[in-house]
Amino acid sequence: MSDIMRVDMSTLEIKREPLPERWVDFGGRALTSAIVFEEIPADADPLGPANKLIFAPGTFGGTTAPNGGRLSIGAKSPLTGGIKESNVGGQLAHTLSRLGIAGIIFEGAANDGLYSLVLEADGSAKLERSDAWKGLNNYDLAEKIKATRPDGDRFATASVGQAGEALLSSASIAVTDPKGIPNRHAGRGGLGAVMASKGLKAVIASDKGLGGVVHADKDAFNVATRKFATALREHPVTGEGLPTYGTQVLTNIINEAGGYPTRNFQAGQFEFAEALSGENMREMTIERGGNVKHGCHTGCVIQCSRYWVDKDGDYKTKGMEYESVWSLGANCGIGDLDDVGELDRMCGDIGVDTMEMGAAMAVYMESGAIEFGDTKGALKALAQVGTGTEVGTTLGNGAEAVGLKYGVARIPVVKHQAMAAYDPRPIQGIGVTYATTPQGADHTAGYAITANILGVGGTVDPLSPVGQVGLSQALQIATAMLDAMGLCIFVAFAVLDKPEAFEAICEMATAHTGKNWSADDLMLLGKKVLTYERLFNGKAGFTNADDRLPGYMYTEKLPPHNVVFTVPDAELDTLFDFVAETAAGMGIA
Amino acid sequence: MTIELALFAKFSARHPVPGAGRSARPYSVPECTTVGQLIGDLGLADELRITFVNGRHADDELVLAQGDRVAVFPPVAGG
Repeated sequence: MSDIMRVDMSTLEIKREPLPERWVDFGGRALTSAIVFEEIPADADPLGPANKLIFAPGTFGGTTAPNGGRLSIGAKSPLTGGIKESNVGGQLAHTLSRLGIAGIIFEGAANDGLYSLVLEADGSAKLERSDAWKGLNNYDLAEKIKATRPDGDRFATASVGQAGEALLSSASIAVTDPKGIPNRHAGRGGLGAVMASKGLKAVIASDKGLGGVVHADKDAFNVATRKFATALREHPVTGEGLPTYGTQVLTNIINEAGGYPTRNFQAGQFEFAEALSGENMREMTIERGGNVKHGCHTGCVIQCSRYWVDKDGDYKTKGMEYESVWSLGANCGIGDLDDVGELDRMCGDIGVDTMEMGAAMAVYMESGAIEFGDTKGALKALAQVGTGTEVGTTLGNGAEAVGLKYGVARIPVVKHQAMAAYDPRPIQGIGVTYATTPQGADHTAGYAITANILGVGGTVDPLSPVGQVGLSQALQIATAMLDAMGLCIFVAFAVLDKPEAFEAICEMATAHTGKNWSADDLMLLGKKVLTYERLFNGKAGFTNADDRLPGYMYTEKLPPHNVVFTVPDAELDTLFDFVAETAAGMGIA
Repeated sequence: MTIELALFAKFSARHPVPGAGRSARPYSVPECTTVGQLIGDLGLADELRITFVNGRHADDELVLAQGDRVAVFPPVAGG
């Protein structure tokens, strides 16, 4: 049985209550978005006490479901002003599930001081004063936390650095990986600022000695997990490409396709893409003695994580992800992996979203404040994020804040959130996702790169507007479902191509919960998630006019293909046609 | 005629120009060579792959022209 834990930061009271019946089918993003919709006033100040911060492992949290340990963190976003689910790996989701927790809701705000929520394996929970940790960044904080734990403990944490404490809109929440390193980030949407606004510095959770969670039918669950793991291992992407090169394997192919945003989205190819590539990163890492293959959480069979080490072979940061290498690299005109590693380390330590920061830095560079390619200038500016300087505060509030402050017209955002590592002009399907997802410009919400570029789940010409809305809609629904289950979205590469992988998800969900989950049930779950999100944003003031790309992307041609975004507005506005009917079925409006 | 040929990820070791690695290198092919014929000559006919010609996805039937850039990838994804 799973509980909801309510942590009132105003009164410092902690209550556990059974998961309400109406949420019993919800895990992960389904639960966070349902709670945001039901409990947060749409006009709430994102950094005020009326906002809530929700941590929810997915349905498969605490189980052996392959890649089933993702964590959803939800709130009203200070960056977008809309609903946010920021998804993160690391160990915390499994830990919370083993503690019997379906979700933690942080409410109110502390009157003074900093606190940490400490959850022990015996089921006890307390808020501890953490004033001594004020101003600490994630790596130093991890050492301080470790010193408070007994020898041999097994624990996971979530924490904020100085960017979160400064309430900046790009602040992330860092989660520890299986080795206890705080290098996995719920990056998008500034939820680190929401966490700190409540006076919360860290969540520390121990599951020492606890086993996995109970299944309705353990034998059937084990059969289904083997089927799912086999499908993931047999697919060339999840079984070979990602384990070998990590997400960075995308650099060369997106650059080849002319969709690799370069120097603040001024071009679609970068002359130093090869130096930044996954192939090069693998070779350098192996040469230096670094790790090139592990999972970000236990139970991962894809193993796309790695550690980046410096020239002496010492740990620098997690193996930089494709999106981070793009944002801090090509998008800033920087073509050296060691330079990117320094920037990534600093982002992770002070706790900011690498995508938002790279986009913000590129806008800053376009303003002429520093040159494109100026790594030292970028590091100097980045170090100020969270320290209260004008430049640091502006950068920390994201790409749009920088553009407005420094007078840059080209700001690659939707709903105030920066785009990721795919220009939407030559890859129009991802442009539909950027434009329409309730999350702001978030590539993961409907990863149309699959059919547009990678030939996964069919093919849709990336340069044509035809078929892109249908592609994005299907992917957004499926992704919302995977996020609810707590599955890594990379399983989608196998699910889209191998029917048995999707069957296995149905079978795992059925065997685990005891409720029959058909394919249609799973897709309806995805629709429900999006319905909560779309309706919340509507109440928060968003309209179809917010479902658009920045104006220059309709008029400025992007080389080398020299194309603009051409999906008609009227077609974009059909993507959520299912919401009214789904909402009626849910009895909400 | 001469094209530019680039092979990525695990295919890079199959580049016919010694030492090419993942770099694009000039490569001579007969006039009217199709993508499929080139792929066959490279020994990649049985491999799952994604092929670009001049930055656009290309079918095996596409006839190559002088100066075309051909890039071949194994199945990759991420993000």
